[in-house]
Amino acid sequence: MRHITVTINGERYERDVAEHRTLLHFLRDDLGLTGTKEGCGAGECGACTIIMDGRAVNSCLVLAMEADGAALETIEGAAAGGELSVIQQAFHDHHAVQCGYCTPGMVMSATDLLRRNPNPSREEIIDGIEGNFCRCTGYQQIIEAIEAAAGATGTAAGKEADHA
Amino acid sequence: MTRLRGAPEPKAVPLLHEFSYVAHRSLDELLSFLAHHGDETQVFSGGTDLFVNIRAGLAAPRYVADLKSVSDLHEIAFNEREGLSIGACATVNELIANDTVRDRYAVLRTAAEQLATFQLRNRATVVGNIVTASPCGDMTSPLLCLGTDVVLVSVRGERRVPLGEFITGVKTTQIATDEIVTRVIVGTGRIDAAGGYRKLKRIKGHDLGVVAVALIKSMPAVRVAISSAAPTPVLLPEFGADAPVAEIQASAQAAISPIDDVRCTAEYRRFMVDVYIRRLMEEVPA
Ligand SMILES: Cc1cc2nc3c(=O)[nH]c(=O)nc-3n(C[C@H](O)[C@H](O)[C@H](O)COP(=O)(O)OP(=O)(O)OC[C@H]3O[C@@H](n4cnc5c(N)ncnc54)[C@H](O)[C@@H]3O)c2cc1C
Ligand code: FES
Ligand code: FES
Repeated sequence: MRHITVTINGERYERDVAEHRTLLHFLRDDLGLTGTKEGCGAGECGACTIIMDGRAVNSCLVLAMEADGAALETIEGAAAGGELSVIQQAFHDHHAVQCGYCTPGMVMSATDLLRRNPNPSREEIIDGIEGNFCRCTGYQQIIEAIEAAAGATGTAAGKEADHA
Repeated sequence: MTRLRGAPEPKAVPLLHEFSYVAHRSLDELLSFLAHHGDETQVFSGGTDLFVNIRAGLAAPRYVADLKSVSDLHEIAFNEREGLSIGACATVNELIANDTVRDRYAVLRTAAEQLATFQLRNRATVVGNIVTASPCGDMTSPLLCLGTDVVLVSVRGERRVPLGEFITGVKTTQIATDEIVTRVIVGTGRIDAAGGYRKLKRIKGHDLGVVAVALIKSMPAVRVAISSAAPTPVLLPEFGADAPVAEIQASAQAAISPIDDVRCTAEYRRFMVDVYIRRLMEEVPA
């Protein structure tokens, strides 16, 4: 057991944590922040994606110990003040959610992508969510939702990729 | 929380085998820790191989030692005399973002972009990829083409080993239990070489390579390395600029020893090695 301090969505948490605990299980089981999902537990599916000190990571392959002193963003922080974020609203409007299991990780990857690249082409969106599996939607609606959120639809970049 | 009647009480299952986490501030402290506990310790940086292995029961260390807490291991630095130095904790995404890599060691970047997914590359390191020594590691073949040395340190001192000698077999290397790799050095001998990396996967999305070929044209020489077609990535002898494609293909076929496995047959691996050599010879500018 070791004492760690983590800031999550702007809020400070202090806990004693087992040294072999993953960050994913710390979030879900110790803090009750169950928005972040576990799919594979082995880096393949992206359901556990969160943003740690400004970088998207698979929280199933990070130790809670490594997050000591870090600032994390999880899906719980997306709808600030009860309002859906632009990306969440776009997922809603474009039917980018079916069972919803992949959605928190998708939204976090999309959030990270649009911060790095506010106007991505379709190819860049596909690359950006490469690490996030969806077993329901077939991805099409998710890609469209991210395009809409970026305001990328109809831009030169978007069109070029469409006709490529 | 509502639960079905009779369903077992949910309990938090620890994912990983129980270990202690150690994070030393200085390299000296880490090395003296390893001098005493090296045989029961796994060092890690990204953890994208180590934690998967622990979860699968393939590794059960008593200690995991986080290299990221040690200062001075993060840097990617270049100078004309030594070449490109890639620190133990430099991530694959940091390599991709590096201007010198883009401008002068292009094949490295091309291969790095094909390693795993964006999130994984934010954690996965170049050095971790080499130490894992998987036959399909995406960083090894381009580094072999470019000419790379591995720098190992322990309380006993420092040694520098060519990458081709460092990797000794499937997931085995020369590293001793009290040693760590502090950095790898990509020499200046093939700087500015044009190059390409072709990786066959089972699916369009991210996947480990079924077979892969790295090729650089560092005039007047052509250098080729092949992954997933032998116990270790294979570097072919150097070819002249005007070597016919058939000669390179024949040399490759003699050097590799692919196997049938769950991902591919040996026959298909051999076939695709020839295809990739031909394509890379065509598409990489001289
Ligand atoms: C879903 C998934 C997809 C993947 N896809 C690919 C892929 O497409 N291509 C590919 O090549 N790999 C892939 N990998 C494997 C892995 O991500 C890479 O090998 C990565 O580069 C390892 O780096 P790391 O820093 O995470 O290694 P770690 O897990 O931190 O370490 C790996 C091993 O090396 C040792 N080690 C690490 N650094 C040092 C050091 N400095 N000195 C001594 N020993 C050290 C550790 O003890 C451990 O045994 C994938 C992994 C996952 C989980
Ligand atoms: S649960 Fe982390 S990648 Fe699948
Ligand atoms: S909506 Fe079900 S997995 Fe994506």
